[in-house]
Amino acid sequence: MPIDPRHVGRRYGPFRNTVCAEQIRAFAVAVSGGVPGYFGTAHGDPHPWSVDDEAARRSPHGALVAPPTFGVTFAMKPFALACSDPELGLDLIRLLHAEQEFEHGAPVRPGDELTTEGEIVEVRSRGPLDFLTVRTETVNGAGERVLVARWTAVIRG
Amino acid sequence: MKMASDFHAGDAFELVREADRYRPIYYAAVSGDFNPIHIDREFGQAAGFPDAILQGMCTMAWLADACTAYLGDPARVKRLRVRFSRPVVVGDVVTFRGRCVSVEGPVVRLEVEARNQRGEEVLKGAAAEGWVES
Repeated sequence: MPIDPRHVGRRYGPFRNTVCAEQIRAFAVAVSGGVPGYFGTAHGDPHPWSVDDEAARRSPHGALVAPPTFGVTFAMKPFALACSDPELGLDLIRLLHAEQEFEHGAPVRPGDELTTEGEIVEVRSRGPLDFLTVRTETVNGAGERVLVARWTAVIRG
Repeated sequence: MKMASDFHAGDAFELVREADRYRPIYYAAVSGDFNPIHIDREFGQAAGFPDAILQGMCTMAWLADACTAYLGDPARVKRLRVRFSRPVVVGDVVTFRGRCVSVEGPVVRLEVEARNQRGEEVLKGAAAEGWVES
């Protein structure tokens, strides 16, 4: 059933998030094939600047930097809330993540205080498939934009 | 670290990652995405898949790792775009084959193919843009 276009413009947030070094490290390790919380268990060689404090200190960044898709930890909430919003009434068992775009600004580092807001920017249908797109924007405590993301779900008819 | 002059159209890079049994659970723990379709085999089957399916964002994280290794710095990745064309199911092994398609000033454009162990594409239109210093 097509999603009612009147939901376009529906907003979620702002949400606040404080980034910590252990969260960046656990994310990089888990993605690389290791056990989160156990640095050294990754088999996939996470980038040292996201896991190794000493290597990060010697890097141009001077501290750990988050991997490019770390934004899922602070910017997915508006998308998740839209997908499960009772006002939209989407059938979650038929819902899959369809498309994703990230546009990065300032790097994300430990101690960053991030604020994310999201908005439903598009609903469309193609045959039996219904699509929902949420755009999120995240800024850090210095007011710099760190991430603009577009999250698209498909609901299979 | 590689500088702008070290990047050339036609450069190739590759990364292989496995969606082992615990990967979607570990990824849920670090990302916050605990949708049952990713951590519950029965839910995955009820949704029409042979098992739980990996979070698309984890597949995208692997894509980002492939691009990061090539570019040399996680903060050099400035854009990422994917369509999730086929779910990655627990047990799948995904091979990412990337290619540098252009270098214009500081902007390095990358295209990446991602296929499972049966050669099926799990991402379509996967592209990244890196910004490198000269």
